Amino acid sequence: MAIPPVSRRHFLATGSALLAATCVPEWADAFQPGATGDARRAEAAEAALARAAALGASYADIRINRYRRESIATRERQVQNVSRSTSYGLGLRVLVNGTWGFAATNRVDPGAARAAAEQAVAIARANALLTSRKVVLATADKVVTTWANPIKRDPFEVPLETKTAFLMKLNETAMAVPGVTFVSSQLLFVDEQKYFASSEGSRITQRLVRTYPQFTTTAVDRAAGDSQTRAVVDRAKLMGYEYVEDYPWMQDAEKAGHEVVEKLTAKPAVPGRYDIVVDPSQLFLAIHESVGHSTELDRSLGWEANMAGTSFLKPTDAGTLRFGSRIVNLVGDRTQPGGLATTGYDDEGVKSERWHLVRDGRFVDWQTTRELAPLVGQQRSHGCLHSDDWSSVPFPRMPNVSLEPAATEVTLDDLFGDIKRGLFVVGRGVSSIDQQRYNFQFGGAVIREITNGKLGAMVRDAAYQSRTPDFWASCDGLGGPATYQLWGTSADGKGEPGQTNAVSHGCPPARFRNVTVLNTGAA
Amino acid sequence: MMLTRDESLAICDTVLAHARAAGAEDAAVSVQSSVESHARFADNRVTTSGRAEDLGITATVWVGRRRGAATGNDSDPDALKQLAHEAVQIARVSPVHREYVPTLGPLTYAEDRGFAAATADPDLAARATALEAVLAACRAEKVTGAGFHSTNASATAVATANGNRRYFRSTDAGLSITARSADGTGSGYYAGDHFDLARLDARHIAEQAVGKAVRSRTPKPIEPGVYPVILEPQAVADLIGFLTNSLDARTADEGRSAFSGKDGKTRVGEAIFNERLNLYSDPMHAELPAAPSTAEGIPAARLSLIKGGVLDNLEYSRFWAQEKKRDATPGPVNYIMESTQPPASLDDMIKGMARGLVISRFWYVRQIDPRTIMLTGLTRDGLWWVEKGRIQYPVRNLRFNQSVLAMLAPWNVEAIGAPERRSPLMVPALKLSGFAFTSISDAI
Repeated sequence: MAIPPVSRRHFLATGSALLAATCVPEWADAFQPGATGDARRAEAAEAALARAAALGASYADIRINRYRRESIATRERQVQNVSRSTSYGLGLRVLVNGTWGFAATNRVDPGAARAAAEQAVAIARANALLTSRKVVLATADKVVTTWANPIKRDPFEVPLETKTAFLMKLNETAMAVPGVTFVSSQLLFVDEQKYFASSEGSRITQRLVRTYPQFTTTAVDRAAGDSQTRAVVDRAKLMGYEYVEDYPWMQDAEKAGHEVVEKLTAKPAVPGRYDIVVDPSQLFLAIHESVGHSTELDRSLGWEANMAGTSFLKPTDAGTLRFGSRIVNLVGDRTQPGGLATTGYDDEGVKSERWHLVRDGRFVDWQTTRELAPLVGQQRSHGCLHSDDWSSVPFPRMPNVSLEPAATEVTLDDLFGDIKRGLFVVGRGVSSIDQQRYNFQFGGAVIREITNGKLGAMVRDAAYQSRTPDFWASCDGLGGPATYQLWGTSADGKGEPGQTNAVSHGCPPARFRNVTVLNTGAA
Repeated sequence: MMLTRDESLAICDTVLAHARAAGAEDAAVSVQSSVESHARFADNRVTTSGRAEDLGITATVWVGRRRGAATGNDSDPDALKQLAHEAVQIARVSPVHREYVPTLGPLTYAEDRGFAAATADPDLAARATALEAVLAACRAEKVTGAGFHSTNASATAVATANGNRRYFRSTDAGLSITARSADGTGSGYYAGDHFDLARLDARHIAEQAVGKAVRSRTPKPIEPGVYPVILEPQAVADLIGFLTNSLDARTADEGRSAFSGKDGKTRVGEAIFNERLNLYSDPMHAELPAAPSTAEGIPAARLSLIKGGVLDNLEYSRFWAQEKKRDATPGPVNYIMESTQPPASLDDMIKGMARGLVISRFWYVRQIDPRTIMLTGLTRDGLWWVEKGRIQYPVRNLRFNQSVLAMLAPWNVEAIGAPERRSPLMVPALKLSGFAFTSISDAI
């Protein structure tokens, strides 16, 4: 299928462009290899798996992935950068005498695939000296299927001018607010086409399309040498261009403009203990850092000790440890519609699922892979293996981790209702958490006072600081189903070499009692 | 697979020719080929290990001052043609690029100095033997070792429609280790890196990490507050990136950086830092050689950023230099922080400390406020209380909220050590009068 990557009307308007169109395949054509490309891909996969088996691998799997990205960046009234990229390659993982080896190359053909198998096996054999425990994998079903996330409009079919016009309108809307000095905005689209084949017979083809809109407004007081920013960066979703068209972005832009100007004159926060209500636009990040990462079993086992850190949760804690108050229910979910970590199957062919990590305030289960599940006595993986590129070693990554709303409709006003002295925290500010996920400090994009149940003036330089078990124990109010929102982070870092993972977190607003609030400007 | 100069520039020339034929009036093509190898270990055993090779070809073109860019990793003739045409197609439907600066013409560059051929293709058996010695050192002290051994090699070629041609290679080898005590109360981290794998001292790195783990066991809590501190070079490296990221001239001119002055001026020329502090970039530095070119293609040369505590220069891109009618800066391509005086040793710093903390490393450091480079983060993997010139006992980790400008202020820096390589930085240990901690962390 030919997908016009740029406006065809403009494209055909110039002779040399027409010449280009007649001489070479369009970008989209080249990206869609068709039956010939699919056959060549399968041939390379089979060659790699066969060579690995012949060299003594007890298990092997291969990911042959193609990525297409389009990025449009603007500031104020100009387009700064339009770029497109494609990347295609294969990464092969082998298990030899219980030790992993991995090799990857950008050349996708049977010869290169066999060479990769030889390299991966050689790496595994050389590292036998460093093996004290053989890897054992949980069982998995043999799966031969295809999967794609539903999209209404393919972003790669939308003309470039439509996208730049959207961003220019967004910038103009924010800049129309008196006092807004700078605006930057970006649209990023990612098309991930994945092919997975394993020595156990699974063959899975998937396509995932993600849309990442973001913008930042800045107000500068040059006379005072002061500036403030208000970023909206975490609304990315596993969706098509309909997300750009259907969501009221201009309302957000105007609101962000007013908020950043108000921040310049907001009064400094008074440090102390407050009851706080945290909006989903901020709470998602608290969930990500304090729950998402602490419930990764590889961290608890020390596998990330040298980089991302370990966890305050011990491998034996599942089913016994109180994580938060009884109203707190948190789920791992790789099936959530629109979730950035949603997929049909993980990167070792395990079908996506939804399961409780915390039920009624008690920590009950881990995020697992086929390698991890047997280490806590489980027969099946929860499907959390992921690699961010064909060239990356797949390893445990976070699913969408979401907080369930209250069963009945509870509004924001209900949550504010009995707060005498509190703060309402909206949007992403600066976040930081320790390597075992105890001590965290989160700012907000916009923080307002709550006085006697009513929302009041904006304050600046505020951040809330707590300890994960104390924080979740202090949760005594959740918004209802109508307040539930899905936010997400597009580049969660973990591992060595570093990999990024896009992951979403759904939640209602929630109320937390007696939380420490700092003034970070005065520290 | 690493490409040679001829192979790389041949790809550049092919793409340039296609771009010109498709109507590009100006163009730059870059080709980067790379090979990465790594072994990761934890729980005193190898966990993952692999090798990856890739190619990145980027065509950036202008048609009527409209810009387009396309990147791919396929060097087949058809793919190169398609890539060039894709970039031109994007340019044709893009708005005029208001920040267009013509691509560079022929320039002379120094030879690259940060490449060691043996590092590009490490011997797997030798690596396993070196790491087995690391794990043996961990087992001997009853600590659990986790770490990462990596080697990277890359070759980058660029050619422009105006005749600029350059090709550089670089390598990097690194080893980092986190050792944790069996009782879970102590943790130590140490890392080293060099462009030459032969210069990577795995034994020393292991000894340091294991020693810190053993000495940090059973830490005591102390109250948060402002304390005198000694930051080891790794701890300085964990913070200084936020300072170097703030040295952009445009952001300062636009009134939104730490180096924006009042009334639209910048703070260049102000004595912002301690009078003994120098910060500069030097591609020819013996321990930390860097690319002979900036990312924009300006031949790299020594660039003073802070001199005797005075903000000496900010970084000007080619566009911003053109706007401000001055030259683009020949860097930075690396950062070296050092003292104008003879360096102090870590031992002497401790002996001269009445009370305070020795900090190994920071973690999850984020910038709260760009106006003061106010940071938050936590200590990690080794924190000790010093009294009367001696380390007394390990203490529990702390969260800090500290401005880098205040940290390096004239009155706050007491002693400066000899710089150590923490690529892309060379940084010294620092002894500081005050550093602000705001809460205790339970994390080990």
